[in-house]
Amino acid sequence: MKLDQFKPLTVYTIYIASTPEKVWEALTTAEFSRKYFSGFAVETEPRLGGKFMVRAPDGSEHISGEVLEYDPPNRLTVSWNVNWPDLVEKLGTTLVTYEIAQAGEAVRLTMSERHDRPLSDDILSGGRTGWPAILSGLKSLLETGKAPQIKMAPPAKMLDALKAMGIKVP
Amino acid sequence: MDEVFKALADASRRSLLDRLHAENGQTLNELCEGLEMTRQAVTKHLAILEDANLITTIRHGREKLHYLNPVPIHQIGERWIKKFERSKLAALSELKRQLEKRDE
Repeated sequence: MKLDQFKPLTVYTIYIASTPEKVWEALTTAEFSRKYFSGFAVETEPRLGGKFMVRAPDGSEHISGEVLEYDPPNRLTVSWNVNWPDLVEKLGTTLVTYEIAQAGEAVRLTMSERHDRPLSDDILSGGRTGWPAILSGLKSLLETGKAPQIKMAPPAKMLDALKAMGIKVP
Repeated sequence: MDEVFKALADASRRSLLDRLHAENGQTLNELCEGLEMTRQAVTKHLAILEDANLITTIRHGREKLHYLNPVPIHQIGERWIKKFERSKLAALSELKRQLEKRDE
């Protein structure tokens, strides 16, 4: 897989009063992610080529992927494929990259979602609604020890757009 | 948060954000196209927006791409919009969108 062929379509940056190591741990382990990611558990095998997955609160494997860039605590790229039938076939692989850098007393975290083809704003709207809430939750958790429970409406536009492409959504 | 409000207080900078909202991930050249501003002025405004964390830049191959970063605005919402108001606000903005669409 040539990573250069994937263009960032959604990019978010957040500053967190923490250390790069803590931010890395929060992004890669279930213990943290359950608290800021609506109960979803991130599991990251800590090596290049390792398995990456996100389990839904019911234990099912919601997102699966592979560790494609591994440079703790600075840079991580994983493939981020939602396990809905035909989704990857129709949308291609999704990559997610985290860049973590010290910025004075804070840590600058940049998340980019990359794709190998153009996708409509409707398709991208799911991530664009979800990521700011996830990242804000991560920030709160690391800074205050507690992440607020953010109530998210289902990403209706994205679900409609996926259905229109013939992708079965739950 | 002061920086966010200062950055948003300028109409040229808001128009740059509008351009990124219409199409995310543009280069400096693309952002300058059809604008009355000099390239130098655009560069300066982009730096202020980036300092306020309202935009993020990312290198992609040889290009530097600019992205709208709504995270600070999301945080403003979290701070001042109470949870029980959220659904009403969403309903109102949807109503506004629908009504304006009809006028187009």
